[in-house]
Amino acid sequence: MRPSSRVPFLSIFSFASGSAVLLMAASLFAQPGRAGKPEPVPDAPQKLTASNIQLERIVSPEDLLIPEDTRLSMYENVILELSKTKKFMHIYRSGDRTAADAPDLVVLHLIPEAFKAGNQKEREVTTVAGATSIKVKVQFTSPDGKILLEKDVVGKVRFYGENLRATYDLAKKVATIVNQSF
Amino acid sequence: MKNRGMRTNSSVPGPSSEFVRRLVLLGGLLLFGAGLVLTIGAAPSFSRQPATPHNSSGNVIPDVKCVIGLEALKPGAKGTLSSSPTGMEFSSGKKKIDIATSSIQDVFTGQESRQDVSGMGGTLVEAAIPYGGGRVVSLFSHKVDVLAVEYEDSNGGFHGAIFVLSAGKAAAFKNQLVAQGAKVSKHMELPEPKEQK
Repeated sequence: MRPSSRVPFLSIFSFASGSAVLLMAASLFAQPGRAGKPEPVPDAPQKLTASNIQLERIVSPEDLLIPEDTRLSMYENVILELSKTKKFMHIYRSGDRTAADAPDLVVLHLIPEAFKAGNQKEREVTTVAGATSIKVKVQFTSPDGKILLEKDVVGKVRFYGENLRATYDLAKKVATIVNQSF
Repeated sequence: MKNRGMRTNSSVPGPSSEFVRRLVLLGGLLLFGAGLVLTIGAAPSFSRQPATPHNSSGNVIPDVKCVIGLEALKPGAKGTLSSSPTGMEFSSGKKKIDIATSSIQDVFTGQESRQDVSGMGGTLVEAAIPYGGGRVVSLFSHKVDVLAVEYEDSNGGFHGAIFVLSAGKAAAFKNQLVAQGAKVSKHMELPEPKEQK
């Protein structure tokens, strides 16, 4: 390399390396909790054990109107997704008489908290409006009603797909919670 | 020599002819896209037409989509819904699923609109149309009826099946089930979904 062409290369290289060093230094300072007293270590996710699960019927509160097909679709999609997790020997439906004798049973309740009816046409034409969303409290209890785990989950359909696809999204998220918690 | 030079110059496309050529090409592409979309959009309507005389019998409804809820079938299976003296039956291919009237706990009907061009193929077509023209395709939709049935299995386990029928069929089918003795509870009326025209 000729000395005349080496000068711009060196200046660019020194500028780039200097910037990189500055960025690294800034990111080190920006990290919370390094200096001073250490942050409390977050608790490891609570693991539950159960070999059987029963999904209770979804009953919406009186002040919350949810279309019946949405409610049923939510139930059936959660049953399908629970079976895909392969975490349980048997998935009992609500009202199943054989569940009474099932050992090591956990009961799953889905309590609807909010529902926003969207519009497929509006969604696909505008791509920003018309989303359907359902917020549900996911509650795992023992057969005697003791709450073991409780989480909020939101199912959505934003762009393409029918309104009921929000229930599929919700079921997927419930399955993720099951995978993380069992 | 002079003439030959002039001929050569006239055969080279100028900026205006290049513009016209591009315009024609773009117009052709747009026409092709619009034609494709209209053909795909019209196909379901043509396929539905022969089914109309079948429906006059009242007991058999062809071209029904079972969205979810029948354990032996995959979600989205298409088939024929029929009422029998003992309940209702959904047949898709070689599979037949019966729901006895005595096991039916509730029946709901509703109305929704479905896109004329939908599914994976429809989405690809919409995406392929240039300059956001695919959104225009989304404006075309048709009304459908939704029939939701709550029923119990032999162990008392709760099930919910959702069917999508052509418009105007669900209420009659529900009345038939009720006449056979299916249980129906009073439902809260939901406001009609707003339709963007």
